[in-house]
Amino acid sequence: MKVLLVDDEVELVSAMAERLGFRDVDADWTDNGESALAMAEETDYDVAVLDMKMPRLSGLELMELLADRHPDMKFIFLSGHGSEADFKAGCAAGCNYLIKPIQLEDLVALIRKVAA
Amino acid sequence: MSRTQCEPREGLRFFGRISASVSHEIKNVFAVINEAAGLIEDFTLMAGRGVPLQPERLKSAANSIQGQIKRGDAIVRNMNAFAHSTDEDVREVNLVEALRLAADLTARFADMRQIRLTVGESEPASMVACPFDLTRLLHSSIVAAFDSMQPGDTLAVSVSPYGGGASFSLSVPGKDAPLKNDEPFAELARAMNARVEVDEKTGTSQLLLADKGAPA
Repeated sequence: MKVLLVDDEVELVSAMAERLGFRDVDADWTDNGESALAMAEETDYDVAVLDMKMPRLSGLELMELLADRHPDMKFIFLSGHGSEADFKAGCAAGCNYLIKPIQLEDLVALIRKVAA
Repeated sequence: MSRTQCEPREGLRFFGRISASVSHEIKNVFAVINEAAGLIEDFTLMAGRGVPLQPERLKSAANSIQGQIKRGDAIVRNMNAFAHSTDEDVREVNLVEALRLAADLTARFADMRQIRLTVGESEPASMVACPFDLTRLLHSSIVAAFDSMQPGDTLAVSVSPYGGGASFSLSVPGKDAPLKNDEPFAELARAMNARVEVDEKTGTSQLLLADKGAPA
């Protein structure tokens, strides 16, 4: 299983990728949407974990672009906000949603669930 | 500068917008600390299973935590200064400090647009003002300037004395003067006896604040 992590907080997303690796989840990471789109052209990712609020491309906008090009890809959103608007938007996109700071075991469980 | 008579609800909305932005930043700080601490925990668990500890990895994770605590401290310090801006209706305000605070509180808004916001060299300036309304005016004018900018642009702001009041300068190196459209904050500016002047030759816009009782 291949996972793509996208978050503009580099220290966060790199540490998450490393920790997922310790749990046998093969994760690549990037800090922006444009790079994520390019990476997804090169590698078949089963799951993309996207930060809700990122410069230029938001998590939802990035999901729409990725889903259009990779129909089988599944999505999980991360957010620093517990805002109702974000939550509703996340739910409309499938309700796979975690609020930062997360417990990594929760993310691992959610990744395995959506990829099943 | 006279005290504004703006709709209190607008002030509350501004306070909410800044608070939401600050809380988001703090959440990110906690999230990074959480993952760095998690990495250290993972390393120690692996060491328990016989995988040798790598001191440089522990050091890197510890540095990350220390860096984020420093970042979080600066965010909370700015939020505290912003909260205390409501303590008094008017007082003598150090305008260089006020501009730095407004720029710091607006930094995340700039980041989301991939715009760099810098506070340039300023001359010492102070005036009697409502600190909260001044922060709101500076934030609103900076955000209005973003509307004419592109990702990758830099907005440079500075302040200098102007008559008995002050002049806040906004410019985008290599680009036209910003703030040609001051409509988003025009009502607030009028209420605060402030106005905008755009100088196309220098590519600079000035937000001019009059001293109390004087026309801008």
